[in-house]
Amino acid sequence: MRAYLARRLGLAALTLVGMSVVVFVLLRVAPGNIVDLVFQSAGYVDLAQKQRLAHELLLDRPIAVQYLLWAGQILHGDLGPSYRYGRPAWEIVRPRIPVTIELAILALLVSLAVGLPTGIVSATRQNTGADYALRVFSLAGLSMPAFWLGMVIILVLVRVFGWIPSMLYVSAHTDLRAHLLLFLFPALAAGYRSAALISRMTRSSMLEVLREDYVRTAWAKGLHARTVVSRHALQNALLPIVTVIGTEFTFLIGGLVVTETVFNLPGVAKYLVEAILWRDYPVVQNLVMFIAIVVVVTNLAVDLLYARLDPRVRYG
Amino acid sequence: MAANRDFLVSRLFLKWGRVVLKVLLVWALVTSAGWAASPVPKVGGVLNAMHREDPPSLSIHEEATISTNWPMMPCYNNLVLFDPLRAQESPDTIIGELAEKWEWQDGGKSLVFTLRQGVRWHDGQPFSSKDVKYTFDLVREAPGVTVRLRVNPRKAWYSQVVRIDAPTPSTVIFRLKRPQPALLMLLASGYSPVYPAHVPAAELRARCVGTGPFKLKEYRPGELIEFVRNPDYFVKGRPYLDGIRFIIIKERGTRIAALQAGQLDVTMPQEGSKTASEQLKKAVPSLVVVVASHNINDNILVNFKRAPFTDPRVRRAVSLAIDRRGYIQAVRQGGALVGGSMQPRPWGPWGLSIDELAGLPGSGDPAKQKAEARQLLAEAGYGPGRPLRIVVSTRAIALYVDQATYVIDQLKQIGIEATLEQVETALWFPKLTRGEFELGANLTGLGADDPDANFYENYVCGSSRNYSQYCNAEVDRMIDVQSQTLDPVQRRRLVVEIQKRLELDAARPILGWSLDYYVMWPYVRNLVPHQSVYSYARFQEVWLDR
Repeated sequence: MRAYLARRLGLAALTLVGMSVVVFVLLRVAPGNIVDLVFQSAGYVDLAQKQRLAHELLLDRPIAVQYLLWAGQILHGDLGPSYRYGRPAWEIVRPRIPVTIELAILALLVSLAVGLPTGIVSATRQNTGADYALRVFSLAGLSMPAFWLGMVIILVLVRVFGWIPSMLYVSAHTDLRAHLLLFLFPALAAGYRSAALISRMTRSSMLEVLREDYVRTAWAKGLHARTVVSRHALQNALLPIVTVIGTEFTFLIGGLVVTETVFNLPGVAKYLVEAILWRDYPVVQNLVMFIAIVVVVTNLAVDLLYARLDPRVRYG
Repeated sequence: MAANRDFLVSRLFLKWGRVVLKVLLVWALVTSAGWAASPVPKVGGVLNAMHREDPPSLSIHEEATISTNWPMMPCYNNLVLFDPLRAQESPDTIIGELAEKWEWQDGGKSLVFTLRQGVRWHDGQPFSSKDVKYTFDLVREAPGVTVRLRVNPRKAWYSQVVRIDAPTPSTVIFRLKRPQPALLMLLASGYSPVYPAHVPAAELRARCVGTGPFKLKEYRPGELIEFVRNPDYFVKGRPYLDGIRFIIIKERGTRIAALQAGQLDVTMPQEGSKTASEQLKKAVPSLVVVVASHNINDNILVNFKRAPFTDPRVRRAVSLAIDRRGYIQAVRQGGALVGGSMQPRPWGPWGLSIDELAGLPGSGDPAKQKAEARQLLAEAGYGPGRPLRIVVSTRAIALYVDQATYVIDQLKQIGIEATLEQVETALWFPKLTRGEFELGANLTGLGADDPDANFYENYVCGSSRNYSQYCNAEVDRMIDVQSQTLDPVQRRRLVVEIQKRLELDAARPILGWSLDYYVMWPYVRNLVPHQSVYSYARFQEVWLDR
């Protein structure tokens, strides 16, 4: 197990280095940079001033040199300055990470709370009215873009109640109620899609397991339905569901752009898009690396969880 | 005959439009005067103002966008400023801020300011003439000044200043090469704050040390720019507000919902279109909509250095082909005015009148003008057998694309086959500066509604934003003459002639001047939109009646 873990961590480190090179190079080969954007915003271009600014930001150096400089900074625990804000990139990035993680976790909780029970009901009552209704519900969740759902929620709130959640971030220790209200609707909007996916995966996985001989045996032994479904069927159907949950969590961390934008939450995803548009390389690199780390760690956690859920799985 | 009738109808429509606009302007002035005359302004409260994005930086002198001016003006003061309570900016509405009084001397070649005494910067340092000299030497890149602004969009404004003297701590003298009455207008723009000499200019990109009515409390990128009242402000009893919060909301639908829900008290300039404001007013009838101009024109950049536009007949044909009134209806849904290169009346004092516009390309009978355009193209060697094929470039932003699409349609009607090229925002101005375009659909915002601010930036040979690369020595001479003409009536006459010449030369055909539909809750008092969006965000006089 230790050897497996060490090997996976080594691979993870290599993956992250590879990611950093790809992100670094892709950003720089994309047309335009922060210098172009600064002058675009000023509405004119002065070549001498542009060169001076590019030199100041080290953008006139070869990409390989820029990469080594950045990597050196990272190794010293310095994420570099944000080109746009003239502050340390970490200062900009740090407050956004908890917002996104909290939203992703809440959205995942919503999706689990909705997706698992509906999937189970759908599977145990296959081809009944309830199954059809829940399948429509989950299909709708998969078809509905999050930005549309978010905007509809906002519009309904403002039209019906003349109220929307605060447009300013409120921390939990300042005002817990306002904080929860702030996250409630975005978590519902983002969680609905994941709930639909988990529901469908739970249904199909459960249907497969419910047809197994050992489930039939459990029924024949006269066990209580709850026991058959939860202990014999669900537990054995969990493996693919856990995989989907892991994938959804990593998707949520990087894919909450629209939800964060519509509900004006100061999270990583919304800010990442902004930083890309402004070619704020240090911020983009650091945010992408953060997302990459979350993906790598989540995947590792899911793999380790397999052994917990299925005793037949062995790592060595 | 039908075309003639259409033309007459459109003229009639335009005249009625003008009448309606005049009524609106009078209404706006009366309303603002009403607010100004409100007997007992209430002290206290925090104004929640809309903001659409992070400013590129907090340094007004280094930016040319309302995204910086709007939230940062409350922090600073100018020497002089356009009266915040009067909707139309002109030399008559200029009031003193850091300058108590001012006087032209030396036949209009010296502008002497007497400064207020006892003014302090937000960090407690005393303000003096040294700060004024520092600021404007920095902006004009005076010889011997080693510090440079990272970006310096308005250096051209001060091209006539040869020296700035600060003989005493309360006296500053701007010495000019020649008379330039417009200098006072430029100094009164929101783009002309005085910076502290003791704070490096680079630091002001991320913080604010001003003398203004509000101090920067906090800037949380992507979320909020918050100001609190400056208790040591030199105007006693001001500001009325305890603070201002500029809440940054990127998504437009969410911004509007926040206004409707009362989380925002006011929109931001350039935010409201005619259609959107009508919908908003319908949803919340108590909201106040103030119609104002905002000194931004929609125009066509014609590349004078690239064939076929090296041929004046082709340039003129393009300008003739585009029906300006049609443009205003189709693209701006009626929320704009036709005009020349200066902001049209009744909003701008320098704009061309209806009669002055009548003979200009794009303002006459569309059918006749298109026929004339086809004739010019034929003379230049283009026609059905040899159609002219060109590319219309524009930014990949909906409004720009709408504009370009309209232009392409109009050009098609005279036989020009144009294709659309959408350019990413980051690459737009570099592309224009390199002259890598044929026709460009563009928007131009002007920092001050003054001919010098416009002509020296956009039309003079080799000027910084002269993307068309238009260069006419005679026009340059006329621009210089108007710039030093002290008599306002004579100056206006010259400005009218210059505008006509620019339109006839197709230097940068103006398609229209859009209007701003500024929305706020009725309890917000003394916030009066001006005809230039860049100069009314001091918030010193604003108060909340609730």
